[in-house]
Amino acid sequence: MVTLIPKNLQNRELSWYRELFIVLMRRNLKRRYRGSFLGIYWSLLNPLVMTALYTAIFGTTFAQYYNNSALNYVLAAFTGLIVINFFSASTAQALASVVENGGIVNKIRLPLFIFPLSTIGANVFQLLMGAFPLLALITLIISKSPINVVALLLPIIGLVLVCTGIGMLMSALYVFFRDLSYFYELLTFLLWISSPIFYPVDIVPQAVSRFLILNPILPIIESIRQISLSGDLPDLTLIAHSLSSGLIVLVIGAFAFANWRSQFMDLL
Amino acid sequence: MQESIRLDEVSLWRRTQEEFSYDLKRTLLSLLEGKYRHPAKKIVLDNISLTIERGEKIGIIGANGSGKSTMLKLISGILQPTSGIVRVKGKIAPLIELGAGFDSELAVLDNIILYGVMLGYSQAEMKSRVKSILEFAELENYALVPVKGLSSGMTARLGFAIATDVKPDILILDEVLSVGDVSFKNKCSQRMEEFWQDHVTVLLVSHSMELIRKNCHKTIWMEQGQIRMIGTAKNVVNEYLKCVAPHELAQAQSTTTQVESVQY
Repeated sequence: MVTLIPKNLQNRELSWYRELFIVLMRRNLKRRYRGSFLGIYWSLLNPLVMTALYTAIFGTTFAQYYNNSALNYVLAAFTGLIVINFFSASTAQALASVVENGGIVNKIRLPLFIFPLSTIGANVFQLLMGAFPLLALITLIISKSPINVVALLLPIIGLVLVCTGIGMLMSALYVFFRDLSYFYELLTFLLWISSPIFYPVDIVPQAVSRFLILNPILPIIESIRQISLSGDLPDLTLIAHSLSSGLIVLVIGAFAFANWRSQFMDLL
Repeated sequence: MQESIRLDEVSLWRRTQEEFSYDLKRTLLSLLEGKYRHPAKKIVLDNISLTIERGEKIGIIGANGSGKSTMLKLISGILQPTSGIVRVKGKIAPLIELGAGFDSELAVLDNIILYGVMLGYSQAEMKSRVKSILEFAELENYALVPVKGLSSGMTARLGFAIATDVKPDILILDEVLSVGDVSFKNKCSQRMEEFWQDHVTVLLVSHSMELIRKNCHKTIWMEQGQIRMIGTAKNVVNEYLKCVAPHELAQAQSTTTQVESVQY
């Protein structure tokens, strides 16, 4: 069915994918910020406001779980919010990405997987420019160790892998089920509530917390908090946990996408 | 002669969209009720074999829904065949709906790069071509204007300029080009004529028998996903007209002898 492609052609395809990835990512960012670079910092507004809100409501009650320090609660809520915000924004955008470009892919030959990938890519860029410096600063102040700042990148890689996997899976499913976004909103909300973002993990009953293991971003939040807030050296087990969580989700997403891809064009 | 495009026993089945629900809720409910049916598929291209030599100008005719555009999509690599092999050598410029890949929010300049990369050129290549593209499209003063601020004629001009800035090996024309005003049309015609003289392989889908007869060596007549007839443009067009519109044939024949030059 598929003709064999010689090696140099394969390399050309690869560099074409890279170029496509960059221009589509840039398109995504340009559309979002209309050329104003400061726009990226708007993305910090949401986690900052939410952190303030949570602290105002839950701060006093939950402070006892954070060494009786409201500041610790603020930082824990903030780190958790950065992760969950990145997750829900990037995957929701990736979900629509293939269908949104249905018109173009019927006119020009394009690799379909490039759309969820470049959408996630744009969000990663935004994260690295916006929230990451702040997170790195917090980490440096608390741990006083540049190792921790560098290690912070590892759970973030895990996060990007999880989002890429979920993004590919959802963008593929959305081709078949155009009402998926409603269900997906529900799913994100479930994930949101089941991640200990504004509450300490200790208040969850044992019977329930067993199921929290299914949440792929839980180890990522834990690892980021451990690296940036505990003041200790990075915990390698937590890092390994978040990276493997990312890899598993990525493999599932990529596998589903590759398997269903041949049916996409009939429905776009 | 060198082979440019080759289709070996190519068939394509596609899902019929009308009975597809696109709906998770309904699919789940029908699964629960045991009413779920596998989506129906129908054959769109039926066992097509075809060889096109480099530099040939091929006309494709046939009724709506006969599979003309689908065959072009297979050749462009947009669709993959269900069975059979499609082999294509060289760079394709698909002039189907000019400007379909533009992002209306972005500036003309960004769109030149975006569209060019989508067509398979690198960003660096496209940057070096921006000037000649803007010049040809006569949009030098619009480089920073978002595409949504252009008229539809201007957008089509831009699409044409980008897609044809580099001479392709294969040019795909779905329906006749009617881009912009008269002066730009002449410019297009000139560029197309250059391609026509050169060894560019051209695939032209049109309902204008005149155009096909004047410009194509060979013509393919498609019917219900199959090749009904393939041969010299004159023969195929005549047979086609005999079959579809016998009374128009006499009329058409009287006009062909008068016009000899290439027009678009």
